[in-house]
Amino acid sequence: MKFKLPDAAFDPEPPPILGSWRNIYIAAIAWLVFLIVLFYAFTRYFA
Amino acid sequence: MSHIDWVVMVLAMIAVPSFGLWRGRRNRRNVNDYLLASKTMPWYAMGLSIMATQASAITFIATTGQAYVDGMRFVQFYFGLPIAMVILASTAVPIFHKAGVYTAYEYLERRFDAKTRALTSIVFLVSRGMAAGIAIYAPAIVMSSIFGWPDRITTLIIGLVCVMYTTTGGIPAVTWTDVLQMSVILSGLLLAVMTVVSLMPHSVSFADAVYLAGAVGKLNVVDLKLDWNNRYNLWSGLFGGTFLFLGYFGCDQSQVQRFLTGKSVAQSRLSLLFNAMAKVPMQFFILFVGAMVFVFYLFNQPPLLFQKVAMKELAAQPGYAQIQTQFDDAFSRRLHAAESLNAARKDGDSAALTSATSDYRTAQHDADAARAAGIKLYQKTQGQSGFSDTNYIFLSFVTKYFPIGFVGLVIAVIFTAAMSSSSGELNSLAAVSVMDIYRRHFRPNASDHHYLVASRIFTALWGTWAVAFAQYARHLGSLVEAVNQVGSFFYPVMLGTFTLGFFFKRVRGGSAFWALLIGEATIVACAIFTKIAFLWYNVIGAVVVVVFGVLISRLNGRELNALPPR
Repeated sequence: MKFKLPDAAFDPEPPPILGSWRNIYIAAIAWLVFLIVLFYAFTRYFA
Repeated sequence: MSHIDWVVMVLAMIAVPSFGLWRGRRNRRNVNDYLLASKTMPWYAMGLSIMATQASAITFIATTGQAYVDGMRFVQFYFGLPIAMVILASTAVPIFHKAGVYTAYEYLERRFDAKTRALTSIVFLVSRGMAAGIAIYAPAIVMSSIFGWPDRITTLIIGLVCVMYTTTGGIPAVTWTDVLQMSVILSGLLLAVMTVVSLMPHSVSFADAVYLAGAVGKLNVVDLKLDWNNRYNLWSGLFGGTFLFLGYFGCDQSQVQRFLTGKSVAQSRLSLLFNAMAKVPMQFFILFVGAMVFVFYLFNQPPLLFQKVAMKELAAQPGYAQIQTQFDDAFSRRLHAAESLNAARKDGDSAALTSATSDYRTAQHDADAARAAGIKLYQKTQGQSGFSDTNYIFLSFVTKYFPIGFVGLVIAVIFTAAMSSSSGELNSLAAVSVMDIYRRHFRPNASDHHYLVASRIFTALWGTWAVAFAQYARHLGSLVEAVNQVGSFFYPVMLGTFTLGFFFKRVRGGSAFWALLIGEATIVACAIFTKIAFLWYNVIGAVVVVVFGVLISRLNGRELNALPPR
């Protein structure tokens, strides 16, 4: 049984910034990682 | 409330839906306009609408109260949201867009079969139908306790305004109303935090307030410890939260319908990614307001219980005076310790700082113990368990200490948040009722105008149901809580079914249908026989459906489906 991203998931329209959707997704996840690190530092500092 | 507060509140309640109706006035000609805004919506409108629909009135009331009582760890619940948004933006958005469907469940018939579509549609109608009533009822009951407003009248007013603009304007009006509602909500929150900080004693700066909140664990945002029974930690948020939000934003029509209205796949993707970036900081900000309210009450004595009616009944009980004395004593010691702590920090006196911190934490522990004893005594007199006054903390504070005009704005925020959640639910309930049930099973070949009229009628009917449900919700007692949890029982299996549809081409309708039932049985078994925190149900349910869907499909090699995949 193959796990495969369906063809319909590919869209040719590029995003308005960062060049590709892949870069946008990476930016969103990087933002989450940044927030978690920031919140962790916040927790540690004020504890 | 003062006259000015009333004027601010009424103006906001009239202006917000009027704006939505005005902005969406051109999109009411056919059923595609009414249910999908003819796919004309820009990303920012969809993004704010998604945010507004997800943030109910009780979110704002309860979240601030939760930070007061339990600190800010609840924010971890949202850590899975950006991950879910990225997954959905890259998969579900283009798939649903290109399928040209009105509802998410319509896709399931194309991919699997009619019975899978019918089952998921009915599950959605039952769970969301009840949730729509609760979305109106929950803030009304809080208003009733604080202002003494009759909850039946409050639910009726919220419900009527909501039904009026949703029935008239359809999804364009709902979306544009949500945009303004979200702006009002964010402005209200910003004003709230500025007001709380400005109400602190002059000797307490913003930095002092943050330090005082942190010293008793109110700024405990991230917990790295993996504990299966702990509802909020980094891991439950990242894993359980991801699955929960995948289910909610990818399988619940009230959210899917938002991104189906996008001008293009790119616009819909951007709306979800906007939420991925903005939601976690927004929740942090709401919780931070609650933490600041806690600091405010270090210097102003809070009531033992924030719910006035409960407090009144508790005060009449034998044993109350002793608890109140303990609470007053703990408050005095905590106030003194907080002032000493502040002074020691400014002087840089580390010995005094250590001593004051210890006293401060002990006094906070004693205040919490006295509050817990008060709650226990109240529960004993009422013969019920599970009492919580968390939902009353923020509004009690607002009505007692906020300046004139601000109170009206905050109440408007609560009402508009209730309306934005409810209107989105009503429109999506109408879409599923008409497209997945009425058109599919009763009138498949009627005119477009017929379906437009049917959509309006179903919106009004669901609105009437929501108001009626809200009118009688007070008699349901603990059932209300159960209704609120219904969604968490069904999202995981829906997510598993959509995952099978999207990614496992050889799995057909029969396998998916049985896997869905097995997944549901597993979640029910987890709820009855284990103490696993509910966020993990989302992982378990979705994984069970996918595994069994694939297994059954393999075992049943001859399984044939009449419809080819997509």
